[in-house]
Amino acid sequence: MVIQLLTRKYPGMRLWLSQRLTALVMAAYIIGILILLAITQPSGHAAWHGFFAPIWFRIATLVFFVCLFMHAWLGVADVLKDYVFNKTLRAYMQIGVDLLLVLYLFWLSFILWNM
Amino acid sequence: MSNLVKFQIYRFNPDVDKKPYMQDYSIELNDEDNMLLDGLMRLKEQDDTLTMRKSCREGVCGSDSMNINGKNGLACITKIADLEQPIVLRPMPGLPVIRDLVVDMTQFFDAYNSVKPYLINDNPLPEAERLQSPEDRAKLDGMYECILCGACTTSCPSFWWNPDKFVGPAGLMQANRFIMDSRDQATEERLENLEDPYRLYRCHNIMNCVEVCPKKLNPNAAIANIKDLKIERAKENDSSDSTKPAKKIFGITIG
Repeated sequence: MVIQLLTRKYPGMRLWLSQRLTALVMAAYIIGILILLAITQPSGHAAWHGFFAPIWFRIATLVFFVCLFMHAWLGVADVLKDYVFNKTLRAYMQIGVDLLLVLYLFWLSFILWNM
Repeated sequence: MSNLVKFQIYRFNPDVDKKPYMQDYSIELNDEDNMLLDGLMRLKEQDDTLTMRKSCREGVCGSDSMNINGKNGLACITKIADLEQPIVLRPMPGLPVIRDLVVDMTQFFDAYNSVKPYLINDNPLPEAERLQSPEDRAKLDGMYECILCGACTTSCPSFWWNPDKFVGPAGLMQANRFIMDSRDQATEERLENLEDPYRLYRCHNIMNCVEVCPKKLNPNAAIANIKDLKIERAKENDSSDSTKPAKKIFGITIG
């Protein structure tokens, strides 16, 4: 299986492939949510609340955002590799982005489970 | 009919100039001076300090690659009539300038050499030659034609930022050329050689390489093929390997 390409043995491929796999998950979610929206056509707070109420849908949304954050992390890591040559500065910038993405993840979880 | 052509050419002689500058030229060309290189040779008659490389003057040697009106190309196969004037000529970007339009291509050839651009085959040499089927030979089409002019690699921003680490489109296309060669036995080694996050994966598919290649080749497709091949190989290895050790993905043990 392709999964071995995500191991440390393939330091370049695993980053490249992870970005594509996360993109696939996001694409699937976006297609799914567009279909659901077309069918249910929620309108108003109560309808939107009901739309996000099922636990499976919240988990799917969380998975989507985890993939989005991973995708963003990989993309930013790529940009930093391209343009920031000072390793210490690059590490600090990466840590800054990591913290921001973790914060977003907690924020998202709080929103999804405190509606 | 007047055949006056205007040029703006990057000039830099490190022995004399503190910094580079652009010099304007106007020159009356003869009717047979169709190509940019013809114009440059006329200019050189007028100003013999103007420095450039040239050799075959027919798009085979790749010596006279330069930045022509913002796009890399070969002066010898670029028609003057197709160019807006003044024709702005600069050395290829991303490489150190030796003088005027001549760049130091050491980094380009270092990257090229790093992919071992030669056949690796440990079998005893046959009497005549290593044979190939026409189908296998056809797999090299679109890659073996590369003349190593450097137009693609020096128009690639990933090479500009990481010329010491990223192999660049020309080198990667030659890597793929030998990976695809049925006579070569070092496919695994070649794929392994491109595994670090910089050598192959700095390519972000912006396709400047495809846009500028004077031989109309497609280094981007070659790069994509290497990535596809890595995935194919992983599938093959996995199906043939029944005693798999535990693997870790981002620190999580699987399998």
